[in-house]
Amino acid sequence: MGYIRIERAVCKGCGRCIVACPKDLIEFSDELNERGYQVVTYKGSPEECGGCTLCAVACPDLGIETWNNRGKQTFETTTGLTEKMTHYCPGCTHGVVHRVVGEVLSELGLVGRTIGVAPVGCSVLAYEYFNFDMFEAAHGRAPAVATGAKRARPNTIVFTYQGDGDLASIGGNEILHAANRGEKITVIFINNAIYGMTGGQMAPTTMPGQKTSTSPFGRDTEDTGMPIKVCELLAALQTPAYIARGSAHDSKHTVRLKKMIKTAFQHQAEGRCFSFVEVLSTCPTNWGVSPNEASDWVADAMMDYFPLGIIKEPAKEPKPAGAKA
Amino acid sequence: MTKVLMKGNEALGEAAIRAGCVHFFGYPITPQTEVPEYLVKRLPEVGGVFVQAESEIASINMIYGAAGTGVKCLTSSSSPGISLMAEGLSYIAACELPCVLINIMRAGPGLGGILPAQSDYHQATRGHGHGDYQLIVLAPASVQEAVDLMMLAFDLSERYRNPVMVCADGMIGQMMEPVEFPTEGAGEPMAENEWALTGCEGRERRIVNSLYLSPEDLNEHNKKLKAKYDLIAEKETRHEVYGEHEGADILVVAFGTMARIVKSAIDDLQSEGVKVALFRPITLKPWPYKAGRATMDALAPDAPVLTVEMSMGQMIDDVRLCADGSRRHEFLGEAGGVVPSPEEVAAKIKSLL
Ligand SMILES: Cc1ncc(C[n+]2csc(CCOP(=O)(O)OP(=O)(O)O)c2C)c(N)n1
Repeated sequence: MGYIRIERAVCKGCGRCIVACPKDLIEFSDELNERGYQVVTYKGSPEECGGCTLCAVACPDLGIETWNNRGKQTFETTTGLTEKMTHYCPGCTHGVVHRVVGEVLSELGLVGRTIGVAPVGCSVLAYEYFNFDMFEAAHGRAPAVATGAKRARPNTIVFTYQGDGDLASIGGNEILHAANRGEKITVIFINNAIYGMTGGQMAPTTMPGQKTSTSPFGRDTEDTGMPIKVCELLAALQTPAYIARGSAHDSKHTVRLKKMIKTAFQHQAEGRCFSFVEVLSTCPTNWGVSPNEASDWVADAMMDYFPLGIIKEPAKEPKPAGAKA
Repeated sequence: MTKVLMKGNEALGEAAIRAGCVHFFGYPITPQTEVPEYLVKRLPEVGGVFVQAESEIASINMIYGAAGTGVKCLTSSSSPGISLMAEGLSYIAACELPCVLINIMRAGPGLGGILPAQSDYHQATRGHGHGDYQLIVLAPASVQEAVDLMMLAFDLSERYRNPVMVCADGMIGQMMEPVEFPTEGAGEPMAENEWALTGCEGRERRIVNSLYLSPEDLNEHNKKLKAKYDLIAEKETRHEVYGEHEGADILVVAFGTMARIVKSAIDDLQSEGVKVALFRPITLKPWPYKAGRATMDALAPDAPVLTVEMSMGQMIDDVRLCADGSRRHEFLGEAGGVVPSPEEVAAKIKSLL
C-alpha cells in the first residue's frame, strides 16, 4: 500500500494538496502547528493511497513525501534545495517553482556547476533556498549579471529567477538584449500578474480589469496598455532560443512545467542557445483570494491570454554527414 | 623596455591586459570609445572576452556578474554613462567585489559636451550610488601615468576587494604620448579565493549578496567596510609635490590634465623668481589630506592656496577640508571643455601675490 508523509512543521495550511489528491484523501486537521498554521492530514485508509505524488507536486513547501504500493519512495525532497523553510505566503507558487528548478538541476547532475541569480522581488531570498552558488542582483538586472558570470565562466550553468516587475518592467532592456545576444543562460520568469514584494501594485502582466493597489478600479488598458506577453515578444527576435510558457497553478501543469525547465537547462548544458521559461504563478495574498481560488484564477483568467506551450525552439541540428538516416 | 607612441585610451586598454584583465564589458560613449575599439581587436589575441552591452546599466551589472566569479574585469565609460552605473557600483562595493572602471570625464551637466572636463569630481569621489560605500579613485596626469595607475588599479581592487575608478579627462584619453609598459604580454589572472562563485562542486556553496535583513548585521557590515576604507586611506594615498613648497608664497592644487598645465605655468613663474609649488593628488579618493596639510603647513605664513579645476569648483571642497581653516582659499576654473591656459594660471597666481 502506498502512503504519504506530511511534514507538519513546514505545512502552511494552503490546502493545495487537498485539491490535488485525485482520491480526496487529504483534509484540514483541527490542529495548528508551531507557526500557527492549520495543518493538513491524511484522512483515507492506508490502502487507498497509491503514492501518485500529485499532492507533493502541489505543495509549495517541501511538506510531503510519497511512497507507492510496493513501498518504493515516489517523491522525495530534492538536494537542489536547502532545508530552510521559505518565507513565502501560504499557497504562493514561488516555492513550487524553486523545487522544480532544484529537482531538474539535481536530476541533470548540474548542481555543482550552477550559479543562480536571484532578483529583487518576493524571491529576493532565493539564495537562501537554492543549494548552490548564488548571486543576488539589483532589480531587473539579473540577465546582465548572468551574462557577466557566464562569459567569465563558460563551463558553469547560469540561470536567473525573476518576477514580472523585475523582468518585464524595470529589467525590460536587460532581458531583451540577453536573449538577443543568445546568451547561453536560462531564465525562469515568474508571471504572477502583480508586484508581490511591494504589496500588490500593477505589473506589466496585470490582466485587463484586474484590481491592484495602483489600479484600484481595475487595470485600464486605455491608460496602461495591455499585459506584456514576454514569451511572444522574445520569440520575435531572430536569434535562436528555447522559449516556453508553463504553469505552476496545479500539479498536472507543474509536471509539464518541469519538462520545459529540464529542456531549457539541457539546451544550456549542451551550449545550444538562450533558454527561457515563463511560469504562470499565484499570489493569493495580493490577489486577495484563497490559495485554491488563486489556482482557479490562473486557469480561468490568465491562461487564455498567456497560452501555454513551447513558443519557440532552436532549429534541429542537421545530422552529421555519413550518419544513418 | 622600449617606448611606444600610443593614444591615452588605447594605452589604458593595453595596460588592463598587461595587468591580467581579459574581460571587458562596456557601452560606447565619446571620449572613451577608443578603449573598447582597441580591446575588441586585442582581447581575442589573449583569449579574452569582449561584450558590447546594451547600456551602462547592463555593463556595470555584467561586471558585477563577472567580478563575482573571480575574474579581473574592466568597464569603461564617460560622465553620463557613469551616472547610469550608480546603482551597480553600490551593489559591487557592498558585495566587496574587485573590478576596475575607466571614467574619461567629459563636460556636463546633462548631455553637456564631449570636450574634456573635471566636473565629475564630486561624482567620482562622493557621488554615484546609494549607501555608505567608497571607490578608490586614481587620477593620471599623463598617458604613462594612466598606464601605471591601471596596473595599480587592478592590484588595489583585488587586494581590497573594492571597485577602483581610473578617472581621467578627455585630454588624457585622446592625447598621444610615448609609453612604456612594465610587463610583457597578458598578466596573471586573479588568484584563487574563498568568495568567488564558480560552482560549488567539492566545497560549501557561496553567496554574493548585499541584502541584510537585520539592522545589527547591516550595521556590522557598514563598520567592516568603513574599517577597510580607513585602512585604504592610511596606506594608499598618493600625491605629487612639484616645485619648492618650503616657504613658498602660494600653493596651487590641481589634478590630472589641469595639474600638467599648472606645472608649465609654475616653470615659467619660477624662472621669474616666483616662489610657487603645486600639490597634485593622484588618489582623489582617498584624498591625501595628511600630505596636503603638511605641504600647506610648510608654506610662508600668509600664503594662499589656489585650487585650479576644469569645473566650477569641486575638488576645492577637499582642499578646504585639508586646510581646515588654516589658509585663505582662491579658485580658478573653467567648464564646458574650456581649459585654463598656462598664461591664465600664471596671471591668476601673480594677481594673488
Ligand atoms: C531600483 C528599485 N526600484 C524599486 C524597488 C522596489 N521593488 C522591490 S520588489 C519590486 C517589485 C517586484 O515585483 P515582481 O518582480 O513582480 O516580483 P514578485 O514580488 O511579485 O515575486 C519593487 C518595485 C527596488 N528594490 N529597486
